[in-house]
Amino acid sequence: MSDFDAIVIGAGNAGLTAAATLQRGGKRTLLVERHNVPGGCATSFRRGRFEFEVALHQLSGIGTEEQKRITLRGLFGKLGITDKLEFVEEHDLYRSVVPGVLDVTLPADWDGAVDALEAAFPGNRVRVQKFFDLVKQTTYWQMAAMRGTPAEQVDAVVFRQGLRPTQDVLDEHFDDQRIKLVLGSYWSYLGQPPSVLRFQDMAMLLFAYLEFKPWHLRGGSQAMSTAILDSFLEAGGQVRFNTAVTRILTRNGAVCGVRLDDGEEVSAGAVVSNASTPLTYGMLDPDVVPHSVRRDIGSRRIGISAFVLHMGLDATPAELGFNASTSFVFADMDDDRTFQAMRTLDPVRGICVSSYDIEPIGFAPTGASHVSLMTLQYADAWDKVAPEDYARTKFAYAETLIDLLEKMTPGVRDAIEEVDVATPLTMMRYLGHPGGAIYGFDQDATESWQFRNSEREPGVTGLYLAGSWAGYGGFQPTLEAGARVARRILRFTAA
Amino acid sequence: MHPIAEFFDGAAEIQAEIAQRDLDTTDHTAETARVIARHHPNRLTLTVSEVVVETATTKTFRVGNGDPLPPFLAGQYVNVFTDGTSRPFAISSSPARLDHYDLTVRRVRGGRISNQLIDALAAGDTITTTGPMGTFHHNPLFHGEDVVFLAGGSGVAPAMSMIRDIVDNDLERRFHLIYGSRDEQDVIFGSELDALAAELPNLTVDHVIAEPSATWSGRTGFLTAALIEELTGPLNGRMVYVCGPQALYPYALEQLTVLGHPRRRIRFEANGAPARPEAQPHWPADVDPAGEVTVTVKGRSFRTPRNRPLLDALEDQGVQPEAACRSGECSLCRVRVLRGQVHTAEEAKLRMSDAKFGYTHSCVAYPLTDTEVDF
Ligand SMILES: Cc1cc2nc3c(=O)[nH]c(=O)nc-3n(C[C@H](O)[C@H](O)[C@H](O)COP(=O)(O)OP(=O)(O)OC[C@H]3O[C@@H](n4cnc5c(N)ncnc54)[C@H](O)[C@@H]3O)c2cc1C
Ligand code: FES
Repeated sequence: MSDFDAIVIGAGNAGLTAAATLQRGGKRTLLVERHNVPGGCATSFRRGRFEFEVALHQLSGIGTEEQKRITLRGLFGKLGITDKLEFVEEHDLYRSVVPGVLDVTLPADWDGAVDALEAAFPGNRVRVQKFFDLVKQTTYWQMAAMRGTPAEQVDAVVFRQGLRPTQDVLDEHFDDQRIKLVLGSYWSYLGQPPSVLRFQDMAMLLFAYLEFKPWHLRGGSQAMSTAILDSFLEAGGQVRFNTAVTRILTRNGAVCGVRLDDGEEVSAGAVVSNASTPLTYGMLDPDVVPHSVRRDIGSRRIGISAFVLHMGLDATPAELGFNASTSFVFADMDDDRTFQAMRTLDPVRGICVSSYDIEPIGFAPTGASHVSLMTLQYADAWDKVAPEDYARTKFAYAETLIDLLEKMTPGVRDAIEEVDVATPLTMMRYLGHPGGAIYGFDQDATESWQFRNSEREPGVTGLYLAGSWAGYGGFQPTLEAGARVARRILRFTAA
Repeated sequence: MHPIAEFFDGAAEIQAEIAQRDLDTTDHTAETARVIARHHPNRLTLTVSEVVVETATTKTFRVGNGDPLPPFLAGQYVNVFTDGTSRPFAISSSPARLDHYDLTVRRVRGGRISNQLIDALAAGDTITTTGPMGTFHHNPLFHGEDVVFLAGGSGVAPAMSMIRDIVDNDLERRFHLIYGSRDEQDVIFGSELDALAAELPNLTVDHVIAEPSATWSGRTGFLTAALIEELTGPLNGRMVYVCGPQALYPYALEQLTVLGHPRRRIRFEANGAPARPEAQPHWPADVDPAGEVTVTVKGRSFRTPRNRPLLDALEDQGVQPEAACRSGECSLCRVRVLRGQVHTAEEAKLRMSDAKFGYTHSCVAYPLTDTEVDF
């Protein structure tokens, strides 16, 4: 008999929901994590009087109590953790700022957003309504298509619009560049500019936040990770922290266990990997990896990472001039140039600003606030920095984020009480992923679900992939992916 | 390809692009490991190349491994693993010289590891450490370029590294070190500090001797508010770093507060578990700190006094959780309390969700009742 029924490599979002779903489904499961806390990206850490949220900006997919059949609430209910989580609702979608050009805040609801855009750019009401209508239609039919609805029953709107560049769709609907920039701002989450980003991805994101609202959690994403781990442990699961899996063992081409970094071998008939896809296959005997899988991986590119300034400020959001939980500040209107800069260490041209005390998540003491500044960025530029220049380069680049922030909210620099800086190399250290990638492979058109499916077809018997490398990145998709993969294992082994 | 993909406009072009792409043949496993090891290795194996006797009670161990060591920020530490336990030591050498780290170790009366290192560690010996860690370093984003450092005893080690950083990297930073020692013989790096201070206009070093000999002509006594102000002039929000014996911290805070210095412009280096946890206000009144309780971990039970940190108690039994700062700060020694009541010292920087789910930092947590933990 095997030591375990299943082993899960990595306690990121997907690893956690996979492990908890498996254990609660009756599978004896071992969860192995390199780091000392659960969560992967979904963690936090302490500095001075503050706790800093690592990765969660806006949680999608929570929705209202009535929507719970189709939202994360349903998943959390199945894991028995709903009453351990305190959801914090954000009322604004985001504030978009180009200093001297525009400054618009969109509320997180369809009609409110139409009104706000009409107020800022009069004469566009009908166009925005038409655009939002297309967002809804595309998302709805995309979901249907993904789930296997026969083509003849799917509205052709998604076939015509889904794979178009977002910029084309915006250009078709609007003349005013400013309104396009505001509506396209979420590209800074996904890491592909509107000229590259497929409309189906942008539509899905806008839909997710406008329909189901942006949320956060008291205690941050770490509270959610810890609660999911709790659900796993309560059901009898075993976890090993500070432990890495170094090999995935096979017998006759099928997975039979793993080797840990201390040399110990643990057997199990199923291994779920939440680690990156390239490193997961690198842990296997090359002979068992089918050629088609190697070709598929070889044609994919390591994705974008992030540079983050975690700040503890000795003033309230109101005192500092923050009025929305999430703001996007761009140096100018040129999204493509902003994206190009993400491959370099040139001064940052676009940042996402999260103010975690507009709707407090509890990380700052009274009278103070926790703010993070993030830009997505590729690791390559950082890898080229000589180690002895790393710190200097990191702080110099960080200054450019504060400079851009100061254009929206002057005076923030003077309120700094704590700052910590994470570069793509920091992400690499904590996640163990190539390029420190936070959404897995580069999310260009070739990564669309139409063309890639490593979650469903890992190619090695007993191996399962769950997480940002095997599907969509981001919190909601990875949380869902882990549970989905675990259910497949449960179904498969029950049959 | 998904069966429905062919119905999408543009799918054929994307499919063609995938087909004609060059295959990425990078060994991502090796590349990722290389980058992580260069900046943030989990462990370093270092050989002692030289031992410098600094004072009667202090030695500096120069360690390296033949390769450039991971970069660090002046003020950071490494945790040294030895004899079933570990101790953090600040790197006292210059961050501009990565062919070695210097660890400056002073005897602690009754201390196990500091004495062992000083008595036994010799050139040619090998030690295992973490990579550089910690947040006690100059941060140009908000510390400013005019700073003050209050050091006591071996607390001068990170200050030495910060000063060497200024020298070797030609920094503009003004640095004022006020360094308290018990007597003149106790001063570490004395001649080097004085020589640098004479040479560099931006560096000021003031020694303050608590029990001076008859020939001492410098400052005497403690680092009082009056003395600090006299030496530094108005602090005007300058960043003040404090590192030294535990007793220095509340004292320095009090003196700086008297001067009206804001708390957020003072940075204390992590400083080990509290010597007397029972002195903290939330230690329950009627509980004997020396009394013994039973601790259970991974199916094993043993007796240990309440005032011994859980981390040390576990290590006594050969159970070694991960650890680095041993001061409550880094969270690496985090354990879950399954049963029993634990005193988590004020030093512990717990995450908000830790309390809710029963986690604590074992290096600064004390078992008040029979306790079971897991990690
Ligand atoms: C700064 C930042 C900002 C972000 N902002 C957002 C946002 O606003 N909204 C959003 O939706 N998403 C955001 N993301 C992305 C999102 O957090 C991730 O896409 C998602 O959490 C990935 O989840 P995952 O399940 O793939 O696992 P990951 O979080 O990638 O975790 C993988 C885990 O596996 C472990 N592991 C790897 N190899 C091994 C091994 N060999 N042995 C044992 N363990 C191993 C790692 O230690 C890690 O814990 C952000 C990420 C970051 C870092
Ligand atoms: S070892 Fe750092 S918190 Fe305990």
